[in-house]
This record gives sequence, structure tokens and C-alpha cells, in this order.
Amino acid sequence: MNDTSHEVAQGSHHLGGVAPTALSAHNIVKRFPGVLANDNVDFDVRAGEVHTLLGENGAGKSTLAAILCGLYQPDSGYLLRNGKPMHLSSPRAGLQHGIAMVHQHFRLVDRFTVSENVILGSRDLGFRLNRKEINEQVAAVAESFGLPIDPNAVVGELSVGQRQRVEIVKALYQGAEILLLDEPTAVLVPAEVEKLFDNVHSMTKAGKSIVFISHKLGEVVEISDRVTVLRNGRVTGHVSGKGTTDTRELARLMVGRDIELNAQRATHPIGHEVLQIRNLSLSINEVEVLSDVSFNIHAGEMVGIAGVAGNGQRELADTIAGLISPASGSITISGAMTTDRGPIQAREVGLAYVPEDRLGMGLVPSMSILDNLLLTRDRKVIVDRTSIRPEASRLIDQFEIKANGPDHLARKLSGGNAQKVLLARELSGGRSATKLLVVCSPTRGLDVGAIETVRSLLNDARSAGQAILLISEDLDEVMSLADRILVLYRGAVVHETPGATASLSTVGAAMAGLLENGGV
Amino acid sequence: MRLPIRVVFDQRGEAPKRLTALVPIVSVLAALFFGAIFLLATGYSPIDTYTNMFSDGFASSRGVTDTLALSTVLICTGIAAAFAFQMNIYNIGGEGQLYLGMIGGAWAGITLGDHLPSLIMVPLVLIFGALAGALWIFVPAFVRSRLGTSEIVSTLLLTYVASSLIDYVIYTPDSFFRNPNTSFPQGRLVSASAKLQSFGDTRLYPTIFVAIVLAVVLYWVVKRTEFGYRINVIADSPKAAHYAGINAKRTTMSVMLISGALAGLGGAMLIVGPYGKIEPSIVNLGYGYAGIVIAALARNNLAAIVVSGILFAGLRVGGEKLQISTDTPIHIGVMLQGAILLFALGGEAFRRYKIRVVLVRAVTT
Repeated sequence: MNDTSHEVAQGSHHLGGVAPTALSAHNIVKRFPGVLANDNVDFDVRAGEVHTLLGENGAGKSTLAAILCGLYQPDSGYLLRNGKPMHLSSPRAGLQHGIAMVHQHFRLVDRFTVSENVILGSRDLGFRLNRKEINEQVAAVAESFGLPIDPNAVVGELSVGQRQRVEIVKALYQGAEILLLDEPTAVLVPAEVEKLFDNVHSMTKAGKSIVFISHKLGEVVEISDRVTVLRNGRVTGHVSGKGTTDTRELARLMVGRDIELNAQRATHPIGHEVLQIRNLSLSINEVEVLSDVSFNIHAGEMVGIAGVAGNGQRELADTIAGLISPASGSITISGAMTTDRGPIQAREVGLAYVPEDRLGMGLVPSMSILDNLLLTRDRKVIVDRTSIRPEASRLIDQFEIKANGPDHLARKLSGGNAQKVLLARELSGGRSATKLLVVCSPTRGLDVGAIETVRSLLNDARSAGQAILLISEDLDEVMSLADRILVLYRGAVVHETPGATASLSTVGAAMAGLLENGGV
Repeated sequence: MRLPIRVVFDQRGEAPKRLTALVPIVSVLAALFFGAIFLLATGYSPIDTYTNMFSDGFASSRGVTDTLALSTVLICTGIAAAFAFQMNIYNIGGEGQLYLGMIGGAWAGITLGDHLPSLIMVPLVLIFGALAGALWIFVPAFVRSRLGTSEIVSTLLLTYVASSLIDYVIYTPDSFFRNPNTSFPQGRLVSASAKLQSFGDTRLYPTIFVAIVLAVVLYWVVKRTEFGYRINVIADSPKAAHYAGINAKRTTMSVMLISGALAGLGGAMLIVGPYGKIEPSIVNLGYGYAGIVIAALARNNLAAIVVSGILFAGLRVGGEKLQISTDTPIHIGVMLQGAILLFALGGEAFRRYKIRVVLVRAVTT
């Protein structure tokens, strides 16, 4: 046991009849070049329980999960299945021991039907497939865990929540007794999360064990029977007892200090109109992506766009940034029409854009911080790196970017630091002083400390009088930061509400397309 | 029963500098070792063969000048390939662009008359050669930058067309490019003012300096200029280029045209240099294709192409002389070229990954 680890709030309801341990990992050590991902980690899951692995990005929870399912092999330590030692050389070996992982990024073939995906990888089906029989089997497995799904549906046409269900059904069909769910709620709307949690309950009732991997405190408290908290590859605490846990305590174990997660909406005056969007419509490959979108943002105002991924958010941001030409409608930034004029024109009147895709779109991975600062600025014919060097060093200090200096390569930055470089460049202005900042999923994939910093940077920018468009799939983020919230569903604004009085259930319903006409 | 060992590839964060220099050297040594197996199997002494090759290619004064002479055109085709490769544009039609450079250069050398001084004629021949090379890649460049059509296929296929074109201009009886004074099909000589003098009694021409300076200048362009910055952004992430308002179509077009022009320049250098006419046997020499290997060996570093180009030329010169002095087949040199490429590419794995063989342990409780 390491010295930082301790027991908190021993749950009482398990003391009566403790189920047998289904899977346990002992003294797991896993090292990657330069990183000790798992440092002497112990973990176990009992039959019929939900045991959560909680931790920030890079805490080692995904590594541990990969070891538990056979994807990685530990450098030392061992696994026990029902008390007997086992060696997992591959995920297939894991499956033979009844252990399956549902990955965050689904591993499904879009063109295949549900049952084709479910049987993919099964070896003992014979040469000729008996589709009728397979369909019945798949439907039966799905039905028995309350996961209704049409075996003949083509996966590419399913919603994200349904695809996840296919992954789970696949694991169950292959005989999984222990399911590892890697950040399963990251891609779901609130209503789908509830459904998922119902499914989890029906699986645990049937004696399945669930290893739930997450960094979202609220849902962890709701779903878990026990929680193991990881930080820097070590176990920093065990918490048990459903619903009795203090999120503040979990957050402290996770980060190692007290943190304030809910950045407060700053009070500030709202100024003149900076962005005006009128009747914006856009089609890509004859599919309507944006439909008659109109709104405006004022100086010192933050407008949040909520919505499930793929409802036109990314395209809206790209269109405002001048990367896509709309089919119709107009965009005006500080009085200048920028529709159809390209990204450089938009930047010249004060646009700054932090895209969702940090490395690869916002930043060039193989280039230095210095060169990346030049990306959206005016470079001379012979690139002038000397005169920007002092500014680069200053920004690295000011934004507390952990780097060896301006020549540090972007791809060697952690997610949080990459995001800080991006924000540093966009907030410091390039071709002109920043007046409108468009940010997409600014905290996605960041650890809690970085989330705190990024949110306070956004708040500071707003206080400084910049107009901000915050596009995020993290509903909590939009709810806690934005002055005004618009919900985008199938490319249209279906709901608008002031941030201070927004209701989670109404916004959630609008995101799921349950509000027919936009209420204000 | 599976062996209780596994080969583990650990990705390196950054390749150590030491390895970056070591891998090409070890690749060459490994290729020589590989070649030695064949030499032994066919009854030749690898040590004698390689000693001869080395002294013929690099050590004797004749060898050195011949090597540098050959490297002139190889550096051109090498930078032609590398300039495009570094932006992930695979112009593998340098061979055809080289032929066109010969034709374009010869046309200028024959047509632009005997009245112009050498100081103007030679640059004109080089410029026309470069233009012809650029022209030959224009259609592949256009469809690649507008429609995304694979330049690999289009540039390669055009090489076959270019090769037939060379045959056509030489073997057609009343062709403009054919020497009218001989019945044997030969290229027509360019005017005397379009030819350079070689150094002393060597086969080395001043064009070697043009090739080396070009390599260094292009290296600087890529490192220091806005154009180079754009190339680097597009090479790494086209999405970032789009985001920053960099016109990828235009840059792709420019890079491909320059690549074609460089290969064409190599062809024109053969006109002002050794040949003074279109030489139909060029289609058997593969200078354009060799550029691909040279670029790979230099890992598309434009300045390093000078070194890999000379190394490659030396191997080839050594191989050719070997056949004359001993009876070792010339193909040993060609085989070594191929082997060097293979080992250089294989060596990349060692640069990018730390490779370990580990014993799979049984579980202990």
C-alpha cells in the first residue's frame, strides 16, 4: 500500500452478504517510455456490482482497463479470475475468460447490420451463416437485458446511444460476465445516459460485473457500488456505498487538492453587437447541416451552443470562421460582412477560433510552439521568427504552459498545455485584436486542473469585453458558463434560454429533439 | 505451441540524434553484407569486389570526378523527388520529367541559334529543360490539386509516354531532334555555345555547382520562407492549413511544378554537359528513379541529398568499372542500390520504435 492511499466511508450495505470476487488485479505495474502508467495498483470487482475507476486523464485508468481485458500485458503483477490465476495475452483471451471492453470509440462496421457486427470476430459460426438463427439469438440476448434493438438495422443509421447498445450486446453475446465500460457517457445525451444506467442495473441484477471508467463525478456517485480513485498511476482511495459519497471528497482524491469545478458566471456589462448571424443555411453533400440559424452575440457576452455531437455545431463554427461557405445567409463580425470571404478576412476583423480538433487543426503537431503561434498571424515572405520569440516566451509564462520554451514541439505537449497554447494564440490576437472568440469543446479530454484554468481564461476574456461563442457537448459546461444558451438540433436552433435560469431537463429535451418549436 | 517470446515495439517520443545519423550508415553496411551473400554464392570474393568498387568509385581521381559527374543529375532528380515527398506528394515520374528536360533543353540548344553567347545559351537550355519538366507534370499537378487524383499513378504512367516520346524523336527518320548527317539514329547536336566545357580531361561539368547550390537554397526555402512554412503545415495537417487560410491547392500545384522542373533541369544538364544531344540510351539508365531512392536515403532532407546523391553515384560508378576491370556483373551495383533502399526503409523502424524481445512469463501467485 502506498502512503497516499486510504479508506473512506466504508459502505454498510455490502457487509451482510458480500458477493464473491469475480476478477482481481494485484500489484499491477505498467510502464511506458517516460511514464509509469500503473504503479503497484490493486483492483477487484465482485459479481453483480458496479465498480468505478475514477481518475483524471493520464491517471492510468485506461491502462488498467486495457490490462484487465487483455489488450496490454502488465510489466509485473498478476490477475485472478474467480480466485484462479490467469494470463491474458490478447483481448480474445480476455473474452474466453468472460471479460469484454466497450471502448469509448466504437469498433463497429457502419455498413454492417447489428447482428453482423455482433457476430464479427466469432470463430465458431461455420462457413455458412444462418442469419435467421443469429438474428433470433442476438435479439434474445438484447431482450434479456432490456436492450431492445433491431438485429437487421444497419449500424451506420443508428444513433450514438444505439451504437453503444450494439457494443454492449456484442459483449454479452460473446459471453461476457465482466464488462469494462470506458467513458460510456461521454457521447450520450442526458436521456440516453439514464437508459444506459437502467441497462447497467439490469446487467448487474443478472450477476454481471461492470467496471465503469469515468471522470465525471456526478454520474460516478449515482451508478457505482464502489469507487477506486487513481492519480498518477497510483490508487489514492477506495470509496464505497452507493449515493452516500461526497463528490467534493472524490474530486480531492482525484486531483490531490481542493478544487472549484463550477466556475461562476462573472457579472459584467454587455456591450454592442459583435457577431450577427442571419438566416444561415448550409448543405454538405446535399444534406442540410444548418437550417436558417440566426443569432447575435454582444461584447462581453458568452453564448453557449448545446447539442449532441453531429447536429451542426462544428459546421456552424467553421462557417463563422470562414472555412465553409454557407448556402445562404450572412455573417457579420464587428460590422464587417465576412460571409464567404475566407478565414483570413474574418481574422482581420477580429475573429479568433479555437477548434475542437486541437492537434491537427488548431495546432500543427510537428511544429514548435513558436511556429504554431505564427499559424494565424501575418508571416513575412521570409518568416520572421526572431521578433516573435520574446512574445512566445511571455505567453508561455502568462498562460503557465509547461514547455521547455518556444521551440517545444506541439505534439509533445499534454492536452491541457496544447489547449493553453491554442488559447494563448487566439486570445492574444494576430491579424487584429480579438473581438469574437469561437471555442469548440474547450475542455474536452482535459484533466480537472486544466479545465479549471481554461474556464477561467474564457471568463477573463469575456470580462475583457470579448464576445464568445462556446460550443460544447459538455452540457454542464455550457450551463455553468454561458449567459445565453442555444440548443442546436439537426442544424436548427430549437431552443433559446438565458443561462442563469436554464433548466437541465428542458435543455436536455431540446437536445434530444423533443421540443418541437423553439421556446424562449 | 507458441514461442514464449514476444517482440515489443515501443514508440519513441523523439528519435535520438545519434540514430538519425546511424541508421543510413548501418543501412548501407547491411546492404553491402546482403550483397556479399550473393557474391559469395556466385563465386566472387566480396572483399575484393567491394575494395575495387570503393577505389573505383571514391578513391581514384578518375573515380571521384566520374562519381561527381554522375551525382550532378542524381542530385537534381533526388531533390525533385524529395521536394514533393516532404509534402506527401509522391511524384515518382521524375524519370519522365528528366526525358522531357532533355527534349526541352535540346530544342532550345538547337533552335536558339549560334549567335547567342554561351553565357546566355547555357542558362536558356537549362531553363527550357526545367520548363519542359514542369510542363510534363502539369496535368498530374492540376488534377491532383483540384480533384485529388493520385499523382503516383499519373506521374508514373506519363513516364512510359515520355520514354516513347524519346524513341519517337530519335527513331523517326526526319525528326527534328535526329542527327540528319548519320544514317544511324542519333540525337542532333546542339549549337556549340549551348555546351559547357568539362573540367580538364574529366567528365565533370560546372553544373555540379548548380545542383549543389540548388539543394542548399531549396533547403533554406523550406526552413525559412513563407512558402516553406506553408509546405510544412500542409505536409503535417491539411486541416490546419485550411484553418489558417493557407491555399493548399495552389501550394500543391507549385510544389509539383517545381518538382517536375527540377527533374527536367537534370535532363537539361545532360545536354549542356556530357551529351550535347538527346541520348536515347537515357531510358535505360534510370536516373529519375534513382532520385526516389536518393530522396529516401536522405529522408527527404534537401541538403542531405547532396551526400546521398554522391554516395549513390559512387556505388554506381564503382559497379560499372568493376565490370570492365573484372568480370563481376554490373548488376551487383544495381542490386546494392535496391538493397540500400530496403534497408534504409527498414531502419526507419529502429528509429521510430524501441524494439525489444521479451520473454513471456508464466503467471506466478
